[in-house]
Amino acid sequence: MKNIKNTKMELSQETMNVGFIKKVEALSGSSVRRCFQCGKCSAGCPMRSFMDHPPNRIVRLIQLGQWERVLAGRSIWYCASCETCSTRCPNKVDLAAIMDALRKLSWDADGPSKESYVQLANKLFINNIKQYGRQYEMRLAAVFNVKSGQFLKDLMLGPKLLSKGKLKMFHSKNKNLAEIEKIFSRIEEMRKKGDAP
Amino acid sequence: MSRIGVFICHCGENISRTVDVEQVAQAARQMVGVTYACDYKYMCSDPGQTLLKKAVAEHRLEGIVVAACSPRMHEKTFRNAAQAAGLNPFLCEMANIREHCSWVHDDRVEATAKATDIVHMLVERVRKNKKLIPITVPVTKRALIIGGGIAGIQAALDIADCGHQVVLVEREPSIGGHMAMLSETFPTLDCSQCIMTPRMVDVVNHPKITLHTYSEIESVDGYIGNFSITIKKKARSVDMAKCTGCGVCMEKCPQKKIPNEFDKNLGFRPAIYVPFPQAVPNTPVIDREHCTKFINGKCGVCQKVCGPGAVDYEQQDELIVEQVGAIVVATGFKLYDITEKPKGSAIKGYGEFGHGKIPDVIDGLTFERLASASGPTGGKIIRPSDGKEPKQVVFVQCVGSRAREKGISYCSKVCCMYTAKHTMLYKHKVHDGQAYVFFMDARTPGKSYDEFWRRAIEEEEAVYIRGMVSRVYQKGDKVVVMGSDIAVGVQVEIEADLVVLATAIQPRDGADTLAQKLGISYDKYNFYSEAHAKLRPVECATAGIYLAGACQGPKDIPDTVSQASAAAAKVMTLFSKDQLEREPIVARVNEKFCVGCLACKKVCAYGAVEEKEIRDRQGNLIRVVAYVNPGVCSGCGTCQATCPSKSVELDGYTDEQVMAMLETL
Repeated sequence: MKNIKNTKMELSQETMNVGFIKKVEALSGSSVRRCFQCGKCSAGCPMRSFMDHPPNRIVRLIQLGQWERVLAGRSIWYCASCETCSTRCPNKVDLAAIMDALRKLSWDADGPSKESYVQLANKLFINNIKQYGRQYEMRLAAVFNVKSGQFLKDLMLGPKLLSKGKLKMFHSKNKNLAEIEKIFSRIEEMRKKGDAP
Repeated sequence: MSRIGVFICHCGENISRTVDVEQVAQAARQMVGVTYACDYKYMCSDPGQTLLKKAVAEHRLEGIVVAACSPRMHEKTFRNAAQAAGLNPFLCEMANIREHCSWVHDDRVEATAKATDIVHMLVERVRKNKKLIPITVPVTKRALIIGGGIAGIQAALDIADCGHQVVLVEREPSIGGHMAMLSETFPTLDCSQCIMTPRMVDVVNHPKITLHTYSEIESVDGYIGNFSITIKKKARSVDMAKCTGCGVCMEKCPQKKIPNEFDKNLGFRPAIYVPFPQAVPNTPVIDREHCTKFINGKCGVCQKVCGPGAVDYEQQDELIVEQVGAIVVATGFKLYDITEKPKGSAIKGYGEFGHGKIPDVIDGLTFERLASASGPTGGKIIRPSDGKEPKQVVFVQCVGSRAREKGISYCSKVCCMYTAKHTMLYKHKVHDGQAYVFFMDARTPGKSYDEFWRRAIEEEEAVYIRGMVSRVYQKGDKVVVMGSDIAVGVQVEIEADLVVLATAIQPRDGADTLAQKLGISYDKYNFYSEAHAKLRPVECATAGIYLAGACQGPKDIPDTVSQASAAAAKVMTLFSKDQLEREPIVARVNEKFCVGCLACKKVCAYGAVEEKEIRDRQGNLIRVVAYVNPGVCSGCGTCQATCPSKSVELDGYTDEQVMAMLETL
């Protein structure tokens, strides 16, 4: 993907995606326009040093309807959801909820954020739960390494974890898998009705 | 005089920190003529003043030196105390050992020596002081207001409602000023015309107000309570007494295509015109520069159609003299001009914004006329170039303001708010349009102001971009605005249909000339200076002259009205007395020695020196001498310094006193 981080913004009613602003506001339940860029969120963010766009700039980009710039960055995936920003914001902007909403939107859009494997990890994580009713770490690690193309990633940790019993070679299925399935189908149901994001 | 008391103040620690006050008191006791000396922590406090009064009685003091702060600070306090103790107040003098000594020195020994010297000088002066009696002058209870904008109107109505006569002078053919040009006003969005025009009518109908429109101040003479003003009434070419304001002349005038200045040249007017339909007075004026009759003598239609026969081509400029006791200056502002050679300014405008040559780049007042229901478009917002409705409008704040390079380092104060208002007005009229604002800071202090600005963003969806615009240029029928969003850190480019520049507020052209006529001070921008920024914000340093509105500095309507009412209150305070007491520090001519060269008359800045004829008993003229009118003299001492025969002396500052002071050193 082209690095759009520093390229010029051409603002017009066409390039400012108002629908995106409304979507984020609806999903997060927080106003985006209210932010006046004091920078307090970025000042207290523990993950700021890992982010390409600081949290305040994320809000600013949403205000300008720049959805591609927001979703292409890695910031939303590095957010630890610690909610420091939301707690301290002088304007009651719930930035943690906005970050959540952005991750959701990125997921749905099959995000332009390919540089981050967080989304892949999240997907595999949920799939495992769907399939086994619980987490199967060995499979998660193996499939993640294969799909992300990093075959040897953290390989040397394996034996250690195995010997301490933190990692199982074979999965053990949840006995009440039907219940888990019910949860997933209920959420699907709600989504269809529009009650869940 | 040989019974002098010296009172030395510690001023908390302000003086005693660097000056050994006890040592100064000790030294003072040794000075010739000093009977009593003491020091005290706060001389100006009630116990301090009591101490002074007691000492006067106990030691039968005949003169007082208070060694403390500047006489500008507390001279009045101590002179009142001296008077209460039964002394003539002008026998009390202050030795400034704070501003002139303790505050500016570190070395305790040297500072103490200097303080002693200062005290000694003042003791010598007081020894030769004479009792002075305050001069009383009559007060003419009539006020002159210069400028008929909202400030002048408010001040005029307040003073007139109090029962005093008011003379209101306005340069333009109608009163109303800039406020009459505005569409709606922040932060309540009420229509400017609706709140303004009734007040204008109040002015013209008020029995106590004399209105001179299309007039200018020619000259100002006199002093507080007794000003004599010469007003030049420019030839209107229409007899105001006969004209009924029917408007037939304006309809029939063949010259129809003269740009209307009131509409910022967006609309047209005839050569005989009223600036706007609600004008007060509703009497037309002939613009002699554009009138065919005055250009080649070949028209005269207006005179033929005028029923009452009010049109008078022969009318001449007229000089009127008015006697007033107080003056309120309310001359208002103009907007910064971005053209290459702004009128009356050496500083170039904004080349990067097209020097005013791009038709769709306009200033804030032009936008007001576009948005005004009584404007040239009837309130429809269109582009000046092709009359199309703009769908993307970019507003740029701080054009000229806070730009040292343009010679203006101040904030124009109203632009943040009126730009927020403009975005709202635009959104209310063009629902599918988008407003963008480039701003450096949003300054919205004021009641309900910040909420108003936030409303523009949160509810009216104006896009505010922090960062100054670098360039504006024409591209096809669009105007491209290049800026930067410093919150994102990237460049921003907008292809706009219309660009509105919030240009800086400057004093009116000719503000400096008027100030020179009035004898009031002004700053480097030509804004008039108040006597004290905090404690005397509506008074000039020149007594009897007061300030109201944007002529003193950029101001919004609420602030302007407040200041105008405050100035009116000051005028009413002055008018509450029949006689005015003035300090008797005035020059006196010793007629025995005066040779009548009248060099003093030439140098007197206040016009206080007159010629006086000395005659014998038969009425034969012996010689002419100078005479200083004590009512006019301001006690500057220039005549004393000029007089070649040493026959002029300033009371309280005689040559003898000054020499005695110097001899102590």
